[in-house]
Amino acid sequence: MKPIRWFMSYLKKYRWYMTGGLILVVITTAMSLINPHISGQIVDDVIQGGAFELLPRLIFILIAVTVLRSAFRFTFLMMFETSSQGVLYSLREAVFKKFMKEDFDFYNRNRTGDLMSRQTGDMDAVRHFVSHVIYFSFENVLTFLFALVMIFTVNVKLAVCMLVILPFTALLSFSQAKEIKPAFERIRRRYSSLNTFAQENISGNRVVKAFAKEDYETEKFNKENDAYRDAQIQSSNIWRRYIPIFEIFSNLLTVVLMLVGGYMVIRGEMTMGKFVTVNGYLWMLNSPLRQFGWIINDIQNFVASIEKIYATYQVEPDIKELPVPLKSERVSGTIKFENVFYYSYKDVILKDINFEVKPGQTVGIIGATGSGKSTLMNLLCRFYDVSDGRITIGRVNVKNFDLHSLRGSIGIAMQDVFLFSDTIEGNIAYGNPDCSFEEVEKAAKIANADGFIRQMPDGYDTIVGERGVGLSGGQRQRISLARALVKNPSILILDDTTSAIDMETESQIQSDLKTVGKDRTVFIIAHRISSIMDADQILVLSNGRIVERGNHESLLKQRGYYYTVFNHQYGEFDEFRAHRMEERRNQNGTK
Amino acid sequence: MARNRYDQDEDLEVKFDLNQVKRLLKYVKPYRGKMILTIALMLISSALGMLIPLFLKQVMDVYIPDKNMNAIVGMAVLTLVVVLAVAIILRVKITLTSRIGQGVIHSLRRELFDHLQELPFSYYDSRPHGKIQVRLVNYVNNLSDLLSNGIVNTITDLCSLIFIIFFMLALNVQLTLLCMCGIPVLAVLVIFVKKRQRRGWQISSNKQSNLNAYIAESINGIRVTQAFVREERNTEIFNKLSGDYRKAWMSVIKYNFMLSPVVDIISVITMALIYYIGVEWLKVGNDVVTVGTLVAFSSYIGRFWQPINTLASFYNSLLTAISYLERIFETIDEPITVKDRPGAKEMPPIKGDVEFKHVDFSYDDGVKILNDVSFKAKAGETYAIVGPTGAGKSTIVNLISRFYNIDSGELLIDGIDINSVTIKSLRKQMGVMMQDSFIFSGTIMDNIRYGNMTASDEDVIRAAKTVCAHDFIMEMERGYQTEVNERGSRLSAGQRQLISFARALLADPKILILDEATSSIDTETEILLQEGLARLLKGRTSFIIAHRLSTIKNADCILYIDHGQIVEKGNHDELMKEKGEYYKLYMSQYSFLEKMPEPAAT
Repeated sequence: MKPIRWFMSYLKKYRWYMTGGLILVVITTAMSLINPHISGQIVDDVIQGGAFELLPRLIFILIAVTVLRSAFRFTFLMMFETSSQGVLYSLREAVFKKFMKEDFDFYNRNRTGDLMSRQTGDMDAVRHFVSHVIYFSFENVLTFLFALVMIFTVNVKLAVCMLVILPFTALLSFSQAKEIKPAFERIRRRYSSLNTFAQENISGNRVVKAFAKEDYETEKFNKENDAYRDAQIQSSNIWRRYIPIFEIFSNLLTVVLMLVGGYMVIRGEMTMGKFVTVNGYLWMLNSPLRQFGWIINDIQNFVASIEKIYATYQVEPDIKELPVPLKSERVSGTIKFENVFYYSYKDVILKDINFEVKPGQTVGIIGATGSGKSTLMNLLCRFYDVSDGRITIGRVNVKNFDLHSLRGSIGIAMQDVFLFSDTIEGNIAYGNPDCSFEEVEKAAKIANADGFIRQMPDGYDTIVGERGVGLSGGQRQRISLARALVKNPSILILDDTTSAIDMETESQIQSDLKTVGKDRTVFIIAHRISSIMDADQILVLSNGRIVERGNHESLLKQRGYYYTVFNHQYGEFDEFRAHRMEERRNQNGTK
Repeated sequence: MARNRYDQDEDLEVKFDLNQVKRLLKYVKPYRGKMILTIALMLISSALGMLIPLFLKQVMDVYIPDKNMNAIVGMAVLTLVVVLAVAIILRVKITLTSRIGQGVIHSLRRELFDHLQELPFSYYDSRPHGKIQVRLVNYVNNLSDLLSNGIVNTITDLCSLIFIIFFMLALNVQLTLLCMCGIPVLAVLVIFVKKRQRRGWQISSNKQSNLNAYIAESINGIRVTQAFVREERNTEIFNKLSGDYRKAWMSVIKYNFMLSPVVDIISVITMALIYYIGVEWLKVGNDVVTVGTLVAFSSYIGRFWQPINTLASFYNSLLTAISYLERIFETIDEPITVKDRPGAKEMPPIKGDVEFKHVDFSYDDGVKILNDVSFKAKAGETYAIVGPTGAGKSTIVNLISRFYNIDSGELLIDGIDINSVTIKSLRKQMGVMMQDSFIFSGTIMDNIRYGNMTASDEDVIRAAKTVCAHDFIMEMERGYQTEVNERGSRLSAGQRQLISFARALLADPKILILDEATSSIDTETEILLQEGLARLLKGRTSFIIAHRLSTIKNADCILYIDHGQIVEKGNHDELMKEKGEYYKLYMSQYSFLEKMPEPAAT
């Protein structure tokens, strides 16, 4: 029931709208009784009775009531639609905000398409519920009860006989509700699954084509598509058993009237006139009864959806701020990792990490694929929390900072460059959307991106595709670097940001980086020695441990991992020197 | 490079066109039999339904005055039979309509998906992916209402409308014409709002598409968003898009809501007209109308307008559906620019000669990317492609797989023009490792097997071992059965590259393309990989784009590309002698070492 309560808290804001709407529903329902009555009068008194002078007045009432009723109906429909759109808007916002807050772990567990379904298909069931199901079920129950009361006033015995079907109706409703819910849950799951498949197929279209796997994808898609259709049909297989029974119940009332009413009239317990009157009310019992099955479907579909939305919504991120977190314009100071451990899914990712970085220093991190380099930086940004030990910046534990202060002070260019489908300018200014164009340009220049951006047809206004399709790896990395620089962070993290950039450009970038922001602490994760050899300290990671540390020279002396890597990358240094020598000789020769 | 952003509407200038509906009916066609059966059953059912009031009338008029209880019981039993029949028909109707509706949706979605698989990169590159997805999933779903009940109900209602008109005409022609004069009025009103209503639904579907695109991007880009503390700003953007959708929805839904009240009002006015004029005729006492006819007629007026009301609501859902339909058909009609030529043959098993003959290429914006590129790689050779960013390196390799069509020139594999063979048979024999290593959600095993579905577990593991991925995979808690997802989190970039490396290896291609495929792999692994790579390259023609010169040095031929042209061509030694661009590139890699003392070189 918690999801419903949660939902109600959003509905609450529109309670006056809804109340107003429901009142109008009562009024229009009542008004709908007038017209048949007036028509009856016209037929009986005017046409058959010859009281022609009554006609203009009756016609006027007829039209006036209809116009008024139509206006009221339109109004309440709009009121419910407004409430529905309002509720939907705030629900979407709430879920979106939660999405923004969820930690990386959440996104590791959940697939994009599933999360999207919460915001789209599932939301649509909520929209339908608020805009339609609420008033529709109210209208039907109201009509039903009204007719019942009227029949009671006409003849109690007959009414009681008709009431006999009520417990059966209730029983049937409960049974249908119970049986149909899993069917709708299955539809929601299948929908989500179909959505996920579609999303991945579209995002991965390059791989699909490269491997000519269209047939395989189609086959898989067909399975999803079939499963979704089958879930729908399965649900219809359930409600096709119930809805006809409601139909039977509704018509049974006529049979009851025939038998019991006829008997009572014959026995003289009821007048023929009253029999006719009851017959007049009968359709008001009939037609709501027919709708019950459909209403139950709608309600259960809504419940299945809101439960799914809530299940996603209620996940609390593990990364939480203190009740009163430390706010700071610019988090800076000595960064210290003390006995840091990090486990994920029982896998040990980092063990016993200790190091210290003074403001303004540059730290190079190198190590095997999957040795924990990126995780180290993710811990610093608090995308994950340390399992043990602590990380401090300026003697303050990172857990004590307000997340915005902490992350706002760190500029990170991730190894996996994600660009948004926006202009290049918009992408660079992502972390500081209000910055001037000059700042964007300046950052792009430092990142050595200005040149190629200007060569594009629309320059900085070029819209790049999602994930930066249309750009080469090196171009994307440079935009990502510029994006990190625009924030003017006190700590800059370059996580394998230059792997697709040639060395000449890279060394250009590095020297430009040094000229701006002298007090900036920089972390460089790289595989190329040239990227990190100038760092004040270099950490070599292996299997989650720091196995070597020092600067370039001291590490070479250690003749360990670093030395091996260096030799591999620059083993042909001799060849290079030979060429240089030759160059010099030639130069001397020409002189 | 006309790209679309999440907050830009994709405008579509299509006139309101019933052809869209006609086209939809093609999908309904396979269900024609079921459809006719359903409609027949519905007509029977409504005819049966009309019996019940007649039975009741009989009871009231005859049996009760006769005090004939037995006859009443008999009538009740008869009613029960009818009721049961109606219920059974209803059950069959539900069964049939849900199968028709879901079936049509299913086949429409399938055709759309099939077409999407054929569309070239450029289609995917030019709009946010969320906007493609919304068509495939949400728009198609939005048709379900129309398809499951809409068509059947409409036809049934049309039938009963014709029935009633027939009855009314039989009763009194003048009154019938009077009754029907409301229809032109309704038609004029409907046509009057149609334009706005239609535009409104187009806007609304666009806003839905924008919102969907933004949701998709927000989820995929969440890491960047959090790293750049953009949560609040993004929520604002989201709210703006969500609000736009709400506004668009509210402004068009009112037209839908208006229709039914309008029908009600018109119907009551015609009813009033009939009463008024009918009574006038009665007063005059001419023979046009009798009391009996007028009474009978008044009961038909309601029955006349009721189906019209349902038809009106069908019209509403039709207008809504068309705004989705035209989008769906637009995608299905999207031309496949890269496609098999008529009569294209299967590519015979590739030996591996690749030849570019004066190849020119530009993307749709007309800016030339490649200019007169010619070279010939012999089977089994390794070609390295180097050059500055944006020079056209990736483009060259993308053309070999025919991801794009060349503007002019020829591209031959084993002397066969790649345009003359089927794309599938061509790509199946190529292994491509791209800059992004896309990981599908599923197990690591599934992801590697993607390269070759028939590979056994052992084959997969062997491939993983060759590319040095086995160790880290085994270190994971569930080994090869570890679930990974699209964003490939839990895996580092280097690990993802190794997995897609294994994937390419498993495909056992004759031509291998490595496009910055090892950039995130560390040197130690790379050293280990050398052996695997050497084995991988043996007997295959390969094209390697890389920045690490150690990878390039051993290539049989190096192409230095700049501004879409081959500037230098030759092997490492030759190019070093040439002292051109490649020489500069090579020397720059080491030049910084000069500044250093030389512990390593000694």
